[in-house]
Amino acid sequence: MVKPKELLEDSTGKTVLLLSNEAIARGVLEAAVRLVALYPGTPSSEIGNNLTFMAPHLENFYFEFSTNEKVAIEVAGAAAIAGVRSMMVCKGPGLNVAADPFLTLAYVGVRAGMVIVVADDPSMWSSQNENDSRYYALMANMPMLEPSDPAESKSMLLEAYKISEKLELPILFRTTTRINHTRGPVKFGKIPPRPDKVSFEKEPFRFVPIPAVARERHPKLLEQIEIAKEISETTPLNFTVGEGNLGIITSGVSYNYVLESLSSITQSAEILKLGMTHPLPEKKIADFLSRHKRILIVEELEPFLETHARRIAQLNNISVEIIGKEQGFFPRTFEYSTRIVTEALCKVINCNTPINWEKIEAKASGFNELPPRPPLLCAGCPHRASYYAIRVATRGKAIYPSDIGCYTLSIAPPLETADILFDMGSSITTACGIASVTDQDVVATIGDSTFFASGLPGLANAVYNQHRICLVVLDNRTTAMTGHQPHPGTGVTGMQEQVPPLDIAEVCRGLGVKYVKVIDPLESLIDLIAAVKDMVKWTRENHAPAVIISKAPCALLSAAERRKTGVYPPKYYVDSELCNSCKRCLNRLSCPAMYLDPETGKAMIDETLCNYCGTCTYVCPQKAIKQEESA
Amino acid sequence: MIDNTSNTINIVISGVGGQGVLTLAEIMARAALQESYNVRVGEIHGMAQRGGHVICTVRIGEKALGPIIDPGTADILVGFEPIETLREAKLLKPQGKIIMSTHIVYPVAVSMGQAEYPAHEKIVSLLGEITDDIFEFDAMKLALEAGSSKALNMVMLGAIIGSGFIPISKETALSVVRDSFPKRFKAVNTKAVKMGYNAIS
Repeated sequence: MVKPKELLEDSTGKTVLLLSNEAIARGVLEAAVRLVALYPGTPSSEIGNNLTFMAPHLENFYFEFSTNEKVAIEVAGAAAIAGVRSMMVCKGPGLNVAADPFLTLAYVGVRAGMVIVVADDPSMWSSQNENDSRYYALMANMPMLEPSDPAESKSMLLEAYKISEKLELPILFRTTTRINHTRGPVKFGKIPPRPDKVSFEKEPFRFVPIPAVARERHPKLLEQIEIAKEISETTPLNFTVGEGNLGIITSGVSYNYVLESLSSITQSAEILKLGMTHPLPEKKIADFLSRHKRILIVEELEPFLETHARRIAQLNNISVEIIGKEQGFFPRTFEYSTRIVTEALCKVINCNTPINWEKIEAKASGFNELPPRPPLLCAGCPHRASYYAIRVATRGKAIYPSDIGCYTLSIAPPLETADILFDMGSSITTACGIASVTDQDVVATIGDSTFFASGLPGLANAVYNQHRICLVVLDNRTTAMTGHQPHPGTGVTGMQEQVPPLDIAEVCRGLGVKYVKVIDPLESLIDLIAAVKDMVKWTRENHAPAVIISKAPCALLSAAERRKTGVYPPKYYVDSELCNSCKRCLNRLSCPAMYLDPETGKAMIDETLCNYCGTCTYVCPQKAIKQEESA
Repeated sequence: MIDNTSNTINIVISGVGGQGVLTLAEIMARAALQESYNVRVGEIHGMAQRGGHVICTVRIGEKALGPIIDPGTADILVGFEPIETLREAKLLKPQGKIIMSTHIVYPVAVSMGQAEYPAHEKIVSLLGEITDDIFEFDAMKLALEAGSSKALNMVMLGAIIGSGFIPISKETALSVVRDSFPKRFKAVNTKAVKMGYNAIS
C-alpha cells in the first residue's frame, strides 16, 4: 500500500515503512538516476511496479519495461555510456539472459554511474533455480555490493553510484528474496535534480570491443579492480562489530540472522560484515583471520566468501580454522534463518540450542498430513479453459512443452499439461527438438509477455527449419505472474503512455507462420477444442508450425475491473436438482471456487471466489451449472 | 503486550492466497511504526500467491532484524483458515496465542476427493497440544456482515488489536486503515475492524 506517490515525496528525514524493493525505487530518485530499464521478475518486481507509476511525475526521467533482460541491460548500459546515471533490474535467471552484454560492459565500462540490481531467490520461491549471481561479479570482474535490509538497500545504492563513477564501471547490486520482500523503516533523503539530455561523445576505440580494443580493455579492467580493492579496504560498507574470540564473516541477509542468533545464545563474537563483496577487502580479511583462531563463514547458497577466505588465509600463511559449508556446518541449498545459524553456532561452540527444534518438528509431524494447498491457477483464469481444451483435443497424449509464467502451474493434476521447461521462451524451442526426433504431437504453450521476451527467435527457428509444432499463445493481456506489468502487446509503456500495441497474430504471420488463429477461450470452449484438434492435424499434414492465440484477460484484471466499476455479471450456481455428484467439474478443472458440499455430496460454487469465467458450464455433462438470469 | 522495545513480538499470519494476508501484515507494521516501534515484515510473492498457502511475518521491537520467524518463536499465530492455522502451528511458542477464523476454504485436493479435510475437533485438539490460548470465530461471517468478503483481513486486524497482545492502539490501527485504502472502502473496512475488535474483547 505504499503508493508510488509516497515514494515521490520531497520530505527529507521522514521515516516510512518500505519493502527493500520500494527503498530501491526511492533510491533511484535520491541518486538522480536518469534512466531505468528492466524486465519484471519476482522477487525484483516491485522496483519497476513503483517506478512505472512514479515516472510520469518526474522531470528528466525515463523508465521502460524492456522486452527482456538482455535488452534492458543494453538500453541502460548505453545511457550510462552516453553520460547519465542508469539502472537495470532483473531476477537471478534474468541476469543469465543478460550475461553476454553484462560481461562486455565490464570491459568497456561506463562514463556515468550504472547499477545492475539482481534479485537472487534462495529456496526458489518463484524461480526455476537458485543460482548464486555473486559468481557473475567474479567472472565479469564487476564490483559488487550486497545490502542486508531495507535501509541499506537505499543507502548502499547511493554509495554504489559513487563507486561506479569513481571506477567508470557498472556495479552489481546483489539482493535476495528475503531482502527484496522484507519491509522495514527507511529514512527519506534529498532528491537532487536529474540532468537534462546529454550528448553522446564518440569514443569507438573504447566502446566497440573489436579484438584490438578488447585486448586493451581487459588489462585496463584489472587495473580498475586494483583501485576497487583499495575502495573495498576503506569503505564503511565493510565493517567489524562486536568482540570475542570467535570470528564470523557474513554478508547480505545472513548478517541479521548472525546478530539475532548470537543474542539468543548470549555468545560473543567479532563480526566482519561485508557490504562490498567484490573485490573483497583482502587485507582487512587477512587481519581479521589473523586475529582469530576460529572463523565461521555465514552466507546463503554457494561457499563464495568461504572460498575467498581460504584463499586469503593460504596466501598470507595464516593458520586459522575456517568453518563453513565445506565441512558441512552450513547447507548449500535454500535460504537461511536465525535457527540455521544458531544450530551451526551451537555445534561449533558445543552448546544446546535455546529451543529444542527437533522436539518441535517431531510434534508437528502429526500436522504434516494436512491436505496440501499448493499454488494453482486462480478461479476464472482463462488458462484453465485453454489447458482443458488442449487436453481434451489431444486426449492427454501430446507432449506439452511449457514456459515461464502462471501457466506453468498447469503441471498439476488434473490439467497436467507441462512436460518440459528450461527458461523463458523454451516452450517453442524444446517443441522443435521433440518434434524433430519423435512422431508424437507437440503442443507448446507460452504466455504473451514471454512470447515477446524470448519467444520470437524460437518461432523464427520453427518456421525456417519447418518444425511441425503446435503453439498456443496464452494471451492474458499482461505479465501476470510478476504483478501485471505491461508488455509490447498491451499498448501501455513503462512511462504509462498509450502506444499502438504489437499484434501477436500479425507478428506470427510476419515471421512466416501460415496457420494463425485467434480464439477467446471463455467465449466458446467447444470452438477452442475443435481449433486445437484442427491445428494438430494441420501441422501433421503441412510439416510447419501453427499458432493459436488464446486471448482473454487475466482473471485478476477482470476482477479488479469489476470492483472498480461495481458492475458484476449474474452469478453462476449449481442446480442441485440436476447435479448427480459425478464430480467431473471438480476433477477436470480443479477450480478453487468449486467444492463438494460435505452434507449433500453435490458440487457447489463459492460465490466469494468465483470469477465468472463460466468454463464449468461446458464441463458439466448434466448441464447443472447455470448462470442466474440477469435482473 | 510489550511496553518497551527490548522484547520482540513475533506475529505469524497464515492463510490462503487472495485472502489479504500480505495487506494485513503491512497495515499492522505501518501502525507499529506509527507507534514508534521498529518493525520487520517478511513476505513471499509471485508463485507462492496463486491460491496457495500464504504465510507472512510481522516482527515488532528494537531487536527485530531479519524477516523470518523460526519454529517455536512466534508469540501470536493469526490463522485466516483452520488448516492453514494448523499448518503453521509449529512456529508458535508453547502457550502462545492463536487467533483463528473458522471459515473453511476447501483446498482443491479435498474438492477432488484426493484428501480429506480434518474435522474441526481434530484441528482444535492438535492446536491444543501447543497452547490453550485459542480464540476462534467465524471472521468471514463478520466480514460479510461488514459489507464484503474482502474485509476478512480487517476483521482479523480488529481481533489482533482487541486481543491486547500487540502494542498498537485501536485508534492508530483505524487511522492507518483509513489512510491505506481508497475512500470507497472506508466504511466497510472501519466496520470490519470494529467487529473483529468487539468479537474478541
